[in-house]
Amino acid sequence: MKMGNNPSQLEKEIGTEQLPANEHYFGLVNFGNTCYGNSVLQALYFCRPFREKVLQFKQHQKNNKKETLLTCLADLFYSIATQKKKVGTIAPKKFITRLRKEYELFDNYMQQDAHEFLNYLLNRVSELLQAEKQGNKPKSVNNPEIQSKPEPTWVEELFQGTFTNETRCLNCETVSSKDEDFLDLSVDVEQNTSITHCLRGFSSTETLCAEQKYYCEVCCSKQEAQKRMRVKKLPQILALHLKRFKYMEQMNRFTKLSYRVVFPLELRLFNTSDDAFNPDRMYDLVAVVIHIGSSLNRGHYISIVKSDGFWLLFDDDIVDKIDPSTIEDFYGLPSDLQKNSETGYILFYQSRE
Amino acid sequence: MASQSEGGGKDDIKTHFVTREGTYKLMPLSEYSKPTRVPYNGQTNTPSRVSFINVNDGSPSPDRICFNVGRELYFYVYKGVKKAADLTKPIDKRLYKGTFPTCHDFNRMIISSESVRLLVGFTAGQLQLIDPIKKELGKLYNEERLIDKTKVTCIKWIPGSTNQFIVSHSSGQMYIYNEELPCGPTPPHYQPFKQGDSFSVFTCKTKSTRNPLYRWMVGHGPINEFAFSPCAQYLAVVGQDGYLRVFNYNSMELVGSMKSYFGGLLCVCWSPDSKYIVVGGEDDLVTVWSFIEKRVVCRGQGHRSWIGVVAFDPYTSVFSEEESDSSDKKTGSGNHENVVNGSLQSNRNSLECPSTSSSSNITTYRFGSVGQDTMLCLWDITEDIIKQPYGRSRTSILVTPNASHTLPRCNSLPQSQKSNSVASDLSLDGNAHPVTNHTSSLSTKFATLTLADRKESQERKEHKRNFSLASRSVDKNSILRSNHVKPVDDSIKLLGTSACPRLEESPILEPLVCKRIASERLTELIFREECIVTACQEGLVYTWARPGWTCPQGYANTMQHTVVSPQVGEVYQMQF
Repeated sequence: MKMGNNPSQLEKEIGTEQLPANEHYFGLVNFGNTCYGNSVLQALYFCRPFREKVLQFKQHQKNNKKETLLTCLADLFYSIATQKKKVGTIAPKKFITRLRKEYELFDNYMQQDAHEFLNYLLNRVSELLQAEKQGNKPKSVNNPEIQSKPEPTWVEELFQGTFTNETRCLNCETVSSKDEDFLDLSVDVEQNTSITHCLRGFSSTETLCAEQKYYCEVCCSKQEAQKRMRVKKLPQILALHLKRFKYMEQMNRFTKLSYRVVFPLELRLFNTSDDAFNPDRMYDLVAVVIHIGSSLNRGHYISIVKSDGFWLLFDDDIVDKIDPSTIEDFYGLPSDLQKNSETGYILFYQSRE
Repeated sequence: MASQSEGGGKDDIKTHFVTREGTYKLMPLSEYSKPTRVPYNGQTNTPSRVSFINVNDGSPSPDRICFNVGRELYFYVYKGVKKAADLTKPIDKRLYKGTFPTCHDFNRMIISSESVRLLVGFTAGQLQLIDPIKKELGKLYNEERLIDKTKVTCIKWIPGSTNQFIVSHSSGQMYIYNEELPCGPTPPHYQPFKQGDSFSVFTCKTKSTRNPLYRWMVGHGPINEFAFSPCAQYLAVVGQDGYLRVFNYNSMELVGSMKSYFGGLLCVCWSPDSKYIVVGGEDDLVTVWSFIEKRVVCRGQGHRSWIGVVAFDPYTSVFSEEESDSSDKKTGSGNHENVVNGSLQSNRNSLECPSTSSSSNITTYRFGSVGQDTMLCLWDITEDIIKQPYGRSRTSILVTPNASHTLPRCNSLPQSQKSNSVASDLSLDGNAHPVTNHTSSLSTKFATLTLADRKESQERKEHKRNFSLASRSVDKNSILRSNHVKPVDDSIKLLGTSACPRLEESPILEPLVCKRIASERLTELIFREECIVTACQEGLVYTWARPGWTCPQGYANTMQHTVVSPQVGEVYQMQF
């Protein structure tokens, strides 16, 4: 994989004139198993609305701020965006150090899961923004209700969607629905399917019976019920996590599902609810975090991103231009026998409108 | 009806399936493949395609089959539902180095038992004309890759021509070649010849005539497939930009277009009467487009992944008994005025397009599709779907009692359940003569089908919903407000028009048959009189005998609506 491509070669490949103004392609140095972080950071950097918000944050930042994961992220993005050179490498040392300090709290085997990192990062940034908002507010508002219902930050504005959870009691036919928010969707994968099909599976009807019976408030008793979830509010950036790591009890570890799951460059959702605000929102694929290897704890993460009409591959400190047709290599394997594969793991779709 | 919907179902590989005309059976002894079967290593990424030619040599097996597997190309006698030819003795076999064959096409004008002309396209852009019987012919085009360096995606002889052909590349260009002309030692210089909305045509600017004769640039991104109408006047082109574009080939005019719901369109085919086009693509949908009305008629949902091949089945499409006097006789130019109403303009195109058979009275069209999900789907487009004017289905949804369903489900009903008395006025515009009782019968159907749907969804239990929890209640309005306002591009503007209806604006077809029939992605689908032929990525060519054709004696039978013959084919049941 490490064919190597020094920065000047990339410039040659793309053509110096064709390099978009104000765009910087900087590989991130690996500090020992930090590719899960590097790949997600690159993907997020090329989710333009996210990058813009982070850079805005940096701009409005006061100097005497105490260091947080968000300030470290802002500094990192700022230093990439303000490089004199168009391509090169950068060491995200401060960010990683900060992250490791915070990650010690997460003392579990999932440490190197890129999805876990994405989730942690987005939630952490949201919390920090929230805390900042609270801090700025006059203290007079001391209503506990307001505190339990925090205002959305730009993290939610970008990534948060809502799905509606409809349950139909099979006894009285009453449908009750409950809305829940998500920052990304985790979908089950099947062999030789599309991400569209996997999303459909996410919204397929499930029957609650036996021990899972549902308490119906109309019948005032536990009843069999049908349940399904459909997307009610489509987020601006749709992050899709493919559940490729499956816990195998007999082996007592996670195994990788290398299934071939195709994902298009353009996407609309089929599994929207009837009252969805913008059910035909058109999405474009902007970044993919790719897992290489055979299991969760071993392997490597890279990412591919779209920038100004062409695709780039970031493998830690290495940056390569790739032809869009090579994206096919990251769909997965059509044969169930092999586990070692290079497969799309987190897809970032950005709304076109 | 053996209809099995997405998501549900068992994943066994089927060796037979049932439709209203009877049981289709896989004929394991008729399987074609490389003579030496090697375990699939997942490395060949060029789809296996199949071409047939009838050499008319008077023998019981006049058909020849050509298929590509990886670097190889094979040419055999094709024996249909009978035992396959000896695979160790191909008539011709080619092995290519450094480039893989991607597609091929036989010339249908010059055929004899001693000679056929086969065009082959390759991954690195080269083209070859070979004679797999005589074996002496072997012309190369674009050999130095001076004309186009990208993968050949489709290659076809121009209908009726002995020497001209079209080739499309993933560069987004199509070229017209004359096999008798040289390609020249230098890259061609082009000059503009014709330009239109999203396409332009160039000619080669040279002193002496050379290849290519024309260069077409169509849309943005790779062209995935193209197809001539059976009447040979129109060329339908689908591409990675998600558009179907239909051109009048000779006048080089764009006569119609549509857009996928999302993603690239991968395949295209015409109905036998040139009235409908079916496309399939990355939205996992098949979309039926009316050439005459220039609108999306319906979409079909059943595949679990991208659709690679669509094809009409002329043998099971249902023809009305009545003699139709509408289309065939109006072909004379003087009669145009007889067609009253505003869609005269669009009618003219169709009227100029002669039909291959007594096509104007097809009442139910059958087509099939195969894709990366290893499934074969068969679909029926019935009259009530065809006649439903654009946007009508929205009303039907409101009638649907079960409001919790997003999609109107509209199953194709067997022909026998409807009267086909209106067949002859299947006239050239559904908009002008909406038949009122059709609409009402439709909504009843929707109602029943919705119920069926619920039952079916009960069966789909194995799917677990999963989501990452980030539960925070939030003021939704502030989120909606934050949407970035950006200029809207064309494909978004098209949404909600007849070129790309919203989901609820167009009927959704369910497949008649939807079966997993291979362990690998399916890459070919051809309907023949006695069988259906499929091929998959690893290069296995399957023959599925039609009802009544499972035994050699079946040759005596006639095709349409045969009563299923005694199940002689049982011995062929094959375990995978």
